[in-house]
Amino acid sequence: MSYGTTIKVPFGPQHPALKEPEYFLFEVDGDIVVKVTPRIGYVHRGVEKAFEQETYLHNLYLAERICGICSHAHSTCYTQTVEGLVPLEIPPRAVYIRLIMAELERLHSHSLWVGIAAHEAGFDTLFMYLWRDREMIMDLMEEISGNRVTHAINTIGGVRRDITGEQATKIKKFMDKFEGNVKEYMKVLETEQTFLKRTKDVGILKPRDAIALCAVGPTLRASGIKSDVRADDPYLAYGEIPFNVITHDGCDIYARTIVRCEEMIESANIIKYALDHMPEGKIKVPPPRTIAPNESVGRVEAPRGELIHYARSNGTNKPERYKVRAPTLGNLASVCQTLIGAHVADIPLILAGIDPCFSCMDRVIITKKGE
Amino acid sequence: MVLHEIFGVFVYPGMALLFGLAFLYEWIDRKFFARVQNRIGPLYTGPSGILQPVADFLKLLSKEDIVPESCEKPIFSVIPIVYATLPLIALFVIPITGSALISFEGDIIFLMFISALITLSVFLAGWSSAGSFSRIGSIRSALQMLSYEIPFGLALIGPAISAHSLSLTKIAQWQAANSSWFLWLQPIGFAVVLISLLAELELVPFDIPEAETEIVAGWLTEYGGRRLALFRLGKDLELVMASTLVASLYLGGAQPLFFIPPVLILIIKSVVVLLLISFVRALFARFRIDQMTSGMWTYLLPLMIVQILLVQLGIGG
Amino acid sequence: MDELMKKFENYKEDILEIKRPKDRRIFVRIKTDNFKKFLSRLIEDLDLRHLSTITGVDMGQEMEVLYHFSYKYSVEITIGVKVPKSSPKVPTITDLIPGSIFYEQEIHDLLGIVFEGHPNPGPLIVPEGWPEGVYPLRKEYTVQELNRIARGGK
Repeated sequence: MSYGTTIKVPFGPQHPALKEPEYFLFEVDGDIVVKVTPRIGYVHRGVEKAFEQETYLHNLYLAERICGICSHAHSTCYTQTVEGLVPLEIPPRAVYIRLIMAELERLHSHSLWVGIAAHEAGFDTLFMYLWRDREMIMDLMEEISGNRVTHAINTIGGVRRDITGEQATKIKKFMDKFEGNVKEYMKVLETEQTFLKRTKDVGILKPRDAIALCAVGPTLRASGIKSDVRADDPYLAYGEIPFNVITHDGCDIYARTIVRCEEMIESANIIKYALDHMPEGKIKVPPPRTIAPNESVGRVEAPRGELIHYARSNGTNKPERYKVRAPTLGNLASVCQTLIGAHVADIPLILAGIDPCFSCMDRVIITKKGE
Repeated sequence: MVLHEIFGVFVYPGMALLFGLAFLYEWIDRKFFARVQNRIGPLYTGPSGILQPVADFLKLLSKEDIVPESCEKPIFSVIPIVYATLPLIALFVIPITGSALISFEGDIIFLMFISALITLSVFLAGWSSAGSFSRIGSIRSALQMLSYEIPFGLALIGPAISAHSLSLTKIAQWQAANSSWFLWLQPIGFAVVLISLLAELELVPFDIPEAETEIVAGWLTEYGGRRLALFRLGKDLELVMASTLVASLYLGGAQPLFFIPPVLILIIKSVVVLLLISFVRALFARFRIDQMTSGMWTYLLPLMIVQILLVQLGIGG
Repeated sequence: MDELMKKFENYKEDILEIKRPKDRRIFVRIKTDNFKKFLSRLIEDLDLRHLSTITGVDMGQEMEVLYHFSYKYSVEITIGVKVPKSSPKVPTITDLIPGSIFYEQEIHDLLGIVFEGHPNPGPLIVPEGWPEGVYPLRKEYTVQELNRIARGGK
């Protein structure tokens, strides 16, 4: 059905489907989207400019606050990049603690997303169950690091807190339970007809487009491409731990859901393996105050995909330039492509499909420093 | 005589009972829905939060009244009252205490008329508030009505054909007299009436007109304060209407049993229907409007026609 | 890794500097004039399909644009090109890598580097009514100055 002319439908900056403010202008022909123009930047906090004003140690806390959900991924990437500038080797036990926290964070972020996807499709019951489990993961992270959201466990040259044996058994016990729960939810997702109807063949991103538009993370893997920074460019201790890179050939929202569910199971196994094979020793080394001119690129597989930081030092205790590219910006081009040809009712689901984190994506402009 | 009738309309089995039931049913629905989702649900107001719906209603009454600039003011103000009244009128013809307040031959047709009017008032509510989300919601509700209205009507007619009466009271009495429920006689009809009532009540999987994640609150978006309170009350009354309707059409209605008053029997039966509705609500995801309409026309309507044919052939009644 | 380094030998005449600080990280600095031709040859040759991001750096008299490519999603190859700050212009690479569209727009918004031939040069990140010619990540703008501009010059 075509009406010849298109209607412009604004979406955002405030909309219940978007948990954060962002603006998309859709051109709609009947019920079908024909053009998308994004306008980002509503939650800019000037992080990149702020990085240049502060010392390396201060910036650690700033990096952590780029994103609320993947705060550990950002601080891991930051410490990794700065340690690459020095260069600095961190103790092996600290590497494992960072890794365990990163995987716990992936669990909580993925269960958050699968819950949101279910909610966008009107399936609130699954949303409630997944978020109940997520709450328990948050509790575990709080027990390890002392904080629920910004964990502040990383520091340049290591980590601030150790994982005790008691905590390790507790985590392992919960991982077994969690794995069982996720398998059960997967069974629900695979058989529930209303959910399948809403997600199968919706938001198709063909492998060719996914590569050309530089998609990252679960979005890319759900289009059947085997790419995971943890496996391709092993950082922390991922080179020593056996795990599978999950892919799915569905290319649709359903595939993205399943990839994330299976990754949760994989992460639970990584955590168990890492807890069993954690070396003993100290957990940090002192970092230098100033860093000689150098440049470094850090890459981390955040829950949403490849996260990349670039740093350039100038011999002082402040960086010359610090660049952050969050996975959501990497996926923005592909989601705009995916939205073309979609039904208006599917827009929230497709947008949610990349697990957008707009605060991550918007970083730079004004800081309120000194006010 | 007059006093008796006034008592009937305003107290028992009239408005006081119905409002009480409306709030009670909302609480049962919320509490049960929450328990299914592994939550706790209303907790603080009254024992186990039983007074929460009343508290919500009173709170909404005291909120600021906002009327959008560009809305159709007369319709915008009248519709909430109409919406709350319509299910109340429908409830007067449902035999809650064994005999309905108003009962006449053909009240089933009257009921169908009222249920169509409810959807029409939803459409007008959305359309008159002139917001883009409201308009989409009202169009969706009209589209939805086009698809569930016919199977719903047929599902009401099935028992009527068997009982040789167009009066709800008589259909309920027929079941009591023959001591068999239409649930067993016409199971397809029962399933269809439940599904179309889910659509009528705009509950998951058919909460398309007020899909929260897509169009905010759909046709309800622009309403607040007193008007929203009336809409909420209307929705609760609709819930009572739907569950008592199913209970009296398909579950034998208010049959007397030993010393238990018939009204209690009907309430128990309709609560069972209500729990069924809340359970279904917790189990599914939301359909898209095109999936819903095509599904209704391709599956529900033929199924219901088969049921009517069976009834005409003498099977199931 | 070593094979990869060998491949870069073919491009000696275009490359100013090549570094390999650690495994799976390569930094290449190339000449400005032949940039687009070099890049399209390299993309073809190494099958570079994933662009991680683009970084712009203000270096005082010059600006540097860094293209972070990911070779087989594994080796991060950073290709840097310098442009004068007085007329910062580089040709767009959206025709080679369609996914670079928002990265280029972002750099343009924040550092004022013009990507010639970009399909949608409009603003992406800066707010509505942001004065033209104010590029927040340039060194001459202090945080206080930017705060003043963001409040409408007060």
